[in-house]
Amino acid sequence: MARTTVPIGPQHPLLKEPVAFQIELEGERVAESSMRMGYVHRGIERLCQERTYVQNLHLVERVCGICSHIHATTFCQTVESLLGLEVPLRAAYIRALLCELERIHSHLLWMGVLARNIGLDTIFMYAWRDREVSLDIMEELSGGRVSHAVNVIGGVRQDIDSEQVQSILERLDALDQQLARLLDVVEHERSLRGRTKGIGRLSLAQARAYCAVGPVARASGLDIDLRRDALRPPYDRLSFEVPTHTDGDVWARTLVRMQEAVVSVQLCRDLLTGMPGGPVSVRAPRRVPPAEAIGRSEAPRGEVFYYVRSDGSDTPARVKIRTPTLPNLVTLPVQLGGVTMADVSVVLSGVDLCIACADR
Amino acid sequence: MIVLLKMLVFPGFAFLFAAALAFDWIDRRMIALWHGRVGPPWYQPLADFVKLLAKEDIVTEGTHSVAAALLPIVSLASVLTASCYIPVGGTVGTSFEGDLIVVLFLLSLPALAYFLAGWVSTGVYSILGGHRSLLQYFSYEVPFLMAVACPAILSGSWSIATIAQAQARTAWHAAMLPVGFALALIGLIGKLKRDPLDIPKAKSEVVAGPLTDFSGRKLALWHLTMNVQTVLGIFLLVNLYFGESRFLDRMPALPVFGLKSVVTLLAMSTASALYARLRIDQLMDLGWRVLSPLALIQILGALWIGG
Amino acid sequence: MSLAKRLSVLREGARRLTVLLSQMVGTLLRHRVTLDFPFGPPEIAQGYRGRIAIDPDRCRGCSLCVRDCPAFALEIQREDKNVFKLIYHPERCAFCGQCEASCTFGAITQTNEFVRGTSDPGSLQEVLVNRGPEADDARVS
Repeated sequence: MARTTVPIGPQHPLLKEPVAFQIELEGERVAESSMRMGYVHRGIERLCQERTYVQNLHLVERVCGICSHIHATTFCQTVESLLGLEVPLRAAYIRALLCELERIHSHLLWMGVLARNIGLDTIFMYAWRDREVSLDIMEELSGGRVSHAVNVIGGVRQDIDSEQVQSILERLDALDQQLARLLDVVEHERSLRGRTKGIGRLSLAQARAYCAVGPVARASGLDIDLRRDALRPPYDRLSFEVPTHTDGDVWARTLVRMQEAVVSVQLCRDLLTGMPGGPVSVRAPRRVPPAEAIGRSEAPRGEVFYYVRSDGSDTPARVKIRTPTLPNLVTLPVQLGGVTMADVSVVLSGVDLCIACADR
Repeated sequence: MIVLLKMLVFPGFAFLFAAALAFDWIDRRMIALWHGRVGPPWYQPLADFVKLLAKEDIVTEGTHSVAAALLPIVSLASVLTASCYIPVGGTVGTSFEGDLIVVLFLLSLPALAYFLAGWVSTGVYSILGGHRSLLQYFSYEVPFLMAVACPAILSGSWSIATIAQAQARTAWHAAMLPVGFALALIGLIGKLKRDPLDIPKAKSEVVAGPLTDFSGRKLALWHLTMNVQTVLGIFLLVNLYFGESRFLDRMPALPVFGLKSVVTLLAMSTASALYARLRIDQLMDLGWRVLSPLALIQILGALWIGG
Repeated sequence: MSLAKRLSVLREGARRLTVLLSQMVGTLLRHRVTLDFPFGPPEIAQGYRGRIAIDPDRCRGCSLCVRDCPAFALEIQREDKNVFKLIYHPERCAFCGQCEASCTFGAITQTNEFVRGTSDPGSLQEVLVNRGPEADDARVS
């Protein structure tokens, strides 16, 4: 049968960021697919070598717009390992609070994008309306909706007072109700299920072989979550469940992400009510003695990995960033095998691509 | 002379142009309200039309430029011709026995022109969209035609004006043939390529389908054709299923007709907001396994009621 | 299948087709979420990180802020220890507030003033501190 090549990207209404896919169709089914990246490569790892640690804090926050705080947090954790610093517990709690709020915001954003790509604009509007709640809370805490600039090496810059805690708790209750309604729609709505169930399957063995991370892996049954497994404060004091699923299709990933958002709201509540007193930062020296360290965190899309090597000056010798979208991108040819043209958009949306993260 | 005035002003071209823009605005505003947004202001469809007319008309290399220029004109001409036979609040251009068939044929021409627009363009998205539009046509057209035939069978006439007036003696056909009305509405959603059946122009899959390479004046005419088709499709359905009624004959005919049309439009907007886009194989499944058998049953029902 | 089972299947099917409808009606009855911008005013939060402001009396010219700025938005033109100009480039500023955190003398505060776009970015730069030889020596130490 004759093959048609359909280019998706670098500019396509489906994609939020430029990446080029070449889909070879045989009739309506995908026979082969290939990918080109690098359209948003900004050379951040190289730029990090020419800036001080303090400047790099803000640079790595701009690797990604959606998981900005987690990049900054992981970088801080890595540099604090290099220095041998232990941040105060209150600072760890505030960092984790913003991480969880970012997780909620990221999953709701993704839900809206998936809904838009399957033609259900109503859920797009509802998910993004509820995302505004988490963005408003983050703006109150840090002064920015997307770029937070809360971290300093050694802790955080701002503190929370009890008035803020009270108002945030009330808004989290409202957010909880909305998430429950969205979850109801995802579980039961017929047209959404019809478009996402059985599409883009990734089996457990394949997820393990390709080292998939994040909700993509958890939806295939691979039970990995760095918050629970790495046991860094404050997660070692909190108990929470990690939703997993076994189907490995886009519907399973939707369920996993929405359930994770619900768990994150509960985590935010626990963090706010259980926050210890104390200082929010310790003093950090500007020059870092020669050493190398790694830092890992659970971003909304999976494990984000930082490696920093210092050489005694106030600029790092090497910063290496491995973002979660990279291993998930590699699973795409497997997921796209044999789906129809209409499902390509569902599969691409389902894997939650953050090309800015992947290209750095 | 009177006929010329009817054709050009009311219920003809000028009225249809205004109604097309108004219905587009009502539709977008209703969907925005369902979404919780404010929605576009009343002059938005007019502004979009004028803006498109002012934009550059690009014809990509390899496109058959004469065909690309003629297709939007032909489809606009066919829908405007169909307007001569569809009554608006009792006033109709002309009518004759069998004009329902003519109108159905004329309203199907834009579907063929839409596919050809994809065929003559060179982009891969256009051809894919064109293929899908034909597949969709075969899925919704059969139940739609059967559902539109039911009121004709029931009232014993194939003239739209006569069918509308016949309901004054009995009752609204929607009350007697509810399944037929539902099928006609679903078929109309497919014909107008609205969400959830906007498969040929699914933005996230085939960019803009057959119209991907059109811009400027040609695109303005395509959009106008689709808006006029929306208006005429709704008017057709309202005449066939919610025609004149002896309970409402004391009220002025045009506002009542307008109200019925707007309510039908709001129902379609709600369906747009409620469901995700179907996949083409899901639509074919629905069309041939559910809608067509139901339409057959409804025809038998119409025959039985009509006596 | 028994009648009860058939009815429950139908009910579940109807529920699946209309589960979104109750939420939509609820949304319709609440107030709109979007603003009528630019025909209505924008809403800027209290703690929004906008452009910076400097108290020139507190500035010592130590240039810690210049060194720590990740966007190179602050520039110091120095002729002498006590003769310098501190220039701020809002068009490069990332509004991160690192300068405010770095200044040990508390001279920099971050306002919530929104920097509007312009077609001439170079025109935005301004001299925030102009310490000249004619200044009072007692202040600068």
